Order: sequence, then C-alpha cells, then structure tokens
Amino acid sequence: MAAIGRVSDGTLSRPRWRTGLLLALPAVVIFGLLFAAPLFTLVANSFRTQTGAFTLSNYERFLGDPFYRGVLWNTLKVAAMTTIGCLLVGYPFALYMRGRSPRVRNWLALLLLSPLLISMVIRAYGWLVVLGPNGPVAAVLKWVGITPPQLLYNDTAVLIGMIHVMLAYMVLPLMGSLDRIDPTLVPAARGLGAPGWTCFWRITLPLSAPGMLAGAMIVFSLTASSFVTPAILGGPKVKLMPYFVYTQATTTLDWPYAAAIGFILVVVTTGLLLGYARLLRRNNGDVVFQ
Amino acid sequence: MIRLLGTGFACLVGLFLIAPVLVTVASSLTTTRYVTFPPQGFTLRWYAEVFRKEEFLSSFVLSVGVALAAAAVSAVVGLACGLAIHRYRFPGRAALEGVLASAFAVPTIVLGIGLLQWFAQMGLASSPFTLLLAHLVLTVPYTVRLVLAGLAGLDRSAEKAAAGLGAAPFLVFWHVTLPAVRGPLIGGAFFAFITSFDDLTVALFVVTTDLQTLPVRIFNYMQYDYDPTVTAIGTLMVLFAAVAVVVIERFVGVAKLFGADTEQNR
Repeated sequence: MAAIGRVSDGTLSRPRWRTGLLLALPAVVIFGLLFAAPLFTLVANSFRTQTGAFTLSNYERFLGDPFYRGVLWNTLKVAAMTTIGCLLVGYPFALYMRGRSPRVRNWLALLLLSPLLISMVIRAYGWLVVLGPNGPVAAVLKWVGITPPQLLYNDTAVLIGMIHVMLAYMVLPLMGSLDRIDPTLVPAARGLGAPGWTCFWRITLPLSAPGMLAGAMIVFSLTASSFVTPAILGGPKVKLMPYFVYTQATTTLDWPYAAAIGFILVVVTTGLLLGYARLLRRNNGDVVFQ
Repeated sequence: MIRLLGTGFACLVGLFLIAPVLVTVASSLTTTRYVTFPPQGFTLRWYAEVFRKEEFLSSFVLSVGVALAAAAVSAVVGLACGLAIHRYRFPGRAALEGVLASAFAVPTIVLGIGLLQWFAQMGLASSPFTLLLAHLVLTVPYTVRLVLAGLAGLDRSAEKAAAGLGAAPFLVFWHVTLPAVRGPLIGGAFFAFITSFDDLTVALFVVTTDLQTLPVRIFNYMQYDYDPTVTAIGTLMVLFAAVAVVVIERFVGVAKLFGADTEQNR
C-alpha cells in the first residue's frame, strides 16, 4: 500500500529516500540503541563468565540442573494451562459477543481490555485481596461452611491472575474469525435438518480455528514471559523462568546467568511458537479439527 | 433458556474481569487496619495516609514526569516514523518494520535485564532520563502502529488536490495530513502515558533505591505492609487510568491499540 502513488507525485524532485530516512531517524536511533543493543549485550553476556571470559557454563548449568529444568517445565505448563483456561472461558464469551449489537460489543471489548489498562501492580494486588484470607472468596466459603483453603501463592492463584489479563488476547482474534464466517451457513445447515450441536461442531468450531490458534499463540507466549502477576500472586513458591531472571539479576547479582535464563526463555517460547505455526500451515490451519 | 444461560455466563465473566478493581476500590474505605472485603465502616483516612507519605508523593511526581515525557516523545517519533514507513522508500525500511513488530514479541523482562546490562556497560547511571529512554521502547511501537492505521485511512487525492491548487508542502501537511492522524496521535500519546505510568517490569531493572517510580514503590511496599494504603493508591491510579481510557476510546478506540477492530465486518 505504501508504494502506490509516490512515483507519480512529481512534486518533489530531490531524492525522496533521504526525507524518509530523516523522518525515521529518531525511531531508528531509539530502537538501535535501546532495543537492538541491549538484546545483543544480553546474548553476548550469557556466553561470558562473571569476569568476562567466553564460556558455555551458564547454559550447561541451566540444562544440567534438574531444578532449573523443572522451572522451565513449570513455566511451559502454567502457560499451557492459562491458554486452555482462556479458551474455555473465552470461546463461549466470544459467541455471546457475536450475537450482540455493535454498541454492546464495543462495551464488552472495553470490559475485556480493562485489565490491560490498569496498573499491573494494582491488578495483582486486587487479586491478593480477592483470594486472601479476608477476601470475598474466603467469606463465601466460610458462609457455606467450608474452611477456606490457601488460595494464594500457588499455581491456581497465578492461573486465575493470568487468565484475567490474557482473556482479551484470546477473545479478540476469536471474534475476528467468527465474524468472517458466512452468516448464512448455519441457517442453511439448520434448514437441511442438522441439529444445533452438529452445526457448531461441523461449521462454527472448524471455521473459527484460525482465530483460536492465533489467540492461543499470543496467550501462551505472553504468559510464559510475564513476571509481575506471577511474582505477586505466586511468590517464590511458584517457580517460573521470569522470576529467576529477576532474582538472578537483582538478588544473586549473577548477570551472565540471568542473561542466559532470559535468552533460553526467548529461544524456547519462540521456537515452540514457530514449530506450532509450521505444524498449522502443514495442516492448512482449518483441517486440524476435522 | 439458552439465551438466559448465555447472559448469566457473560455476567459471571464480567464480574471476574472487574473483581480485582471492585474489591480494591471498596476495601480502600475500610476502617480496619488490615485490608478486608467487604469493608467495615467507612473512612477516607487511607487517602489522607497516601498524601502524608512523602515517598509516595515523590514517586508519583517522578512517574508522572517520565510518563508525560514518554507520551510527548512517542507521539512525535511515532508520527515521523509512521510517515516515513507509509510514504517513503529508504534503506533499512524493512528492517525497521521488523524491529518494531518484534518489539511487541520480546518479553518485557528480557528487555529490562538487557537494558540493565547495557546501561551498566555504557556507564549510564540511572536517572529519570534513562527511565524515559527505557519506556520509549515500550511506547513507540504503539504510536507508530496507530499512526500507520490513520494514514492508511487517508485519501491521498485530498493531499494531491491541495498541492495541485498551490498549497505549500507544509500547509498540505498541516491542513490535510495532520488532521487525519490527529485522533491516533492523541490516543497513542495517552496510551504511551499509561504504559509508562504503569510499567513495573522494566522500571524494576532501571531504578535505584532513591529513584523509584510509583509502581516500583507500591511493589516494594507490598512486600512488608498489608495496610489499606495501597488500596487507596490503587483506587487513585484506577481513576487516572479511567480518564486516559475515556480519551483513548474517544479518539481511536481501545480495541485498535491491540490490533483488533470490534466493528470489523459488521
């Protein structure tokens, strides 16, 4: 789209690429110096000892230690569970949204996005209160006559907090897919005698697969790399990769090791996502569910 | 029956989505010294407490200052970069687009620790300025995205007509191009403001004990104290965010920020 209409303009004869470069320069400088360079430093440092010599020991240490392998496994597990949770809550919600007027849809989208617009500290703090010993959940359980179990500082607490933030990332792409389904398909199938469930299984679900899969990819990668919500709701007991990046960098002060953990996190999540995307392409995306 | 079930389910999800905010706001009014829900009694003393704590006030001032600067700089940089990408061919354009797209994908925590090590290597001591620099990486991709969306909707023939009628390039930009991206720019600036104002992950790596943004201050305070002061600050921050959201919704639509359009295909 960007290339059209420029050549025929003819209003300016001096080399236009220079103007373009000049306009882009601030962004180039910012991302060169504050994005590319830090990431490059990080990767370089992960192959160094604390004194600066080249080494692979940071990676050997991580991969050789069952504790750290467990942390990686747990990170992927929590990310996968969050993705499934978002799908289970998000799919029916997207179906509900689809049937509403544009005005109501807009409000529902705003509601879904509201957790992303509130400070993450406050959001996580709110969940501490909701799930805490003096919170409403405990109060309801007591009222029913059940002694409230420990609801905080475990995988479940992290899961609840993460589904809360990530739901929008699942529902919005899903909505996009659902909207693209030809609205006459389901009535046509119904007219030919197919029961509602069959219509859902054979038409709506397969045709909304691309949105579901796109949402799943975003939710999975964002969850695997999120720090604040798991740190506050899970505490040190829930062992996740970003938490160890943070403690290694700020408490243990082992920067090369922190860099290595961070880099492993990026490589594993992007690797999984690329593999997943390739798998989908091979299956043409929509035949997966048939 | 199914309709009723659907509505009930949607209400439950709605409750789930607003529960943390609802509970935070409500429990900021409790008269107890600990946080509890439902709150007991009614008092505004925790709000007074917030204003009595000097470290919170100084953190608030720092956060607002950095966020304002981040909003202004991202709007300008985003506009320039958006125009460059949309209108011009220049060496490195594809690379720039790639970097901007990957900025959404790189985990914030990895960026944070990268910046920590890079700043240390450069001998750059942490200051409000380094905080601003770090936040620009988080905010500029969004303003560029919104500006590009705005430019895509602009009819180029209006610009050509203005130019053909003899308007100077600057006047064409001022009267035709800029109005088309005004909404995205204002929305983007407000989003940059709340992104910077709320950021904890990157700030944690960039700040020092003497220089703490508000989220960092709250995060550290939470580790030791469990009194309702935090719920009062939280309520104030929610109000702050709500104002920003109203403005963003008015000018661009919140869903657009995240690459979705709720009214698409309708």
